[in-house]
Amino acid sequence: MMAKIVILGAGISGHVSAAHLRRKLSKEHEVVVVSPNSNYQWIPSNIWVGIGRMKSEKILFPLAPLYKKKGIDFKQAKAISFFPEGDKTETKPYVLSEYVVGDNKGKQEKVTYDYLINATGPKLNFEATEGLIPGENKTYSVCTYTHADHAWDGLKSLIQEMKQGKKAKILIGTGHAKSTCQGAAFEYILNVEQELRKHNVRDMAEVTWISNEFKLGDFGMDGMLLSYGGMTMKSHEMVEMIFEDRDIKWVLGAGVNKIEDGIAHYENLDGEYKTETYDFAMLIPSFSGHGFKAFDKNENDITEKLFKGFMIVDADYTAKPYEEWSVKDWPETYQNPSYKNIFAPGIAFAPPHAISKPRKSKNGTAISPAPPRTGMPSGITAKLVADNIIDSIKNGKESLDHKGSLGNMGAACIASAGYGFTQGSGVSITTYPIVPDYEKYPKSQGRQLGKTFGEIGLAGHWLKLALHYAFIYKVKMKPFWWLIPE
Amino acid sequence: MTQRISKYQRFKMMNPIIQFFKFIYLSIKIMMVVAGGHGGTRANK
Repeated sequence: MMAKIVILGAGISGHVSAAHLRRKLSKEHEVVVVSPNSNYQWIPSNIWVGIGRMKSEKILFPLAPLYKKKGIDFKQAKAISFFPEGDKTETKPYVLSEYVVGDNKGKQEKVTYDYLINATGPKLNFEATEGLIPGENKTYSVCTYTHADHAWDGLKSLIQEMKQGKKAKILIGTGHAKSTCQGAAFEYILNVEQELRKHNVRDMAEVTWISNEFKLGDFGMDGMLLSYGGMTMKSHEMVEMIFEDRDIKWVLGAGVNKIEDGIAHYENLDGEYKTETYDFAMLIPSFSGHGFKAFDKNENDITEKLFKGFMIVDADYTAKPYEEWSVKDWPETYQNPSYKNIFAPGIAFAPPHAISKPRKSKNGTAISPAPPRTGMPSGITAKLVADNIIDSIKNGKESLDHKGSLGNMGAACIASAGYGFTQGSGVSITTYPIVPDYEKYPKSQGRQLGKTFGEIGLAGHWLKLALHYAFIYKVKMKPFWWLIPE
Repeated sequence: MTQRISKYQRFKMMNPIIQFFKFIYLSIKIMMVVAGGHGGTRANK
């Protein structure tokens, strides 16, 4: 029987699932991608766009021609609301979507489906921090290529002023008490620091890390024990070593709550309200769900069956204290328990809880990282969701043999620490598993030591560059693209 | 500025020949961690 699979979003997980579905399913089955963005962007390389070392055109390409060539239906539209039972007039489940460009702009369509993959990722929730607007108040972001372009414009003009003798303060880190993606900010601060040295203005700048982490190197993953040069080191020791060596100061346990022109207001874990001034800041916002609504066939609101901020999947959402958290709380198939033909891989699923220990300030403000939401697990979970759908279609019954919990999956973070073929550097960190499993690895903070390691050096830069080219090749679906792992 | 990385370590970190071998080694090691499979956690109970 012919099946129609609708994928919301064309980021890493949306695109990976669409590509695998199209490759493995015969043409009688329809694969439809609904995304408001016209371009695919390789987000990890935005760091280099933000220091002017890579043009944004190098990290993006238009989706429509590729999808046309591959037989994937593409609707440049945004999802508005979910009708997993259809409605009074439409018997099939559908997503109400609105076109964002062309003659159809503003037109709404009921996009029906047999299977739905929600790969809408996060909403970059800048509004949660007053005054945190990319390109305003001297704050920038590198979350998208346009933001990264603006960041480079801002940094470039500051470097010019520093060449004229201006002393400057640079602040990089998290822009909200519950932000995640410390890894991206970590990459950016090291790259900016190296660029300042290349422009011979390093001594004119004070570079400061500000973050909601309790310790350096937490990265939203509660930090990690890692092998480094034959020794076992804590991630905070490694990051401390790098920051001290590069003369980068740090402010930790900081929940940034308000931005004014050149002033970041924050509360720390001691409950003190402080400020940090700056001439250039790159602060990562908090992430949130997109605020979608869902309705049953009688058009009653059933949003709580589908969403808990992000989408509800096969995780254990029972609220419990940090000490009782288990790796088994984390989802394995990313299937919605109420509507079994809906899946949410990548960043779109609601995590059962954080990974880092939750902490509150003396005033009761929660200041600790949310779980990191990165590309590699997004690709892996998207592929397993696609494989389960393919099996279900081929077997004619639900099949969920492919599983991938973040508690049984490794991740590599190749953090660029400076750009340049002979002068570049990178910090390569792998972690296995992403969510610590204290039952399996009780003596090494929940992680397998041999597979959790760190390396610093030029090879890290080459690796990140090699990954950039390999993944751009893969996402363009060039010959044998599927041989490159997620 | 505190020098936390010695000149010798820095030489090793930035020497293209040493780093070329490190690149090969890291590529293989990272592939083993990342493409080394994944699965559930609940069935292991």
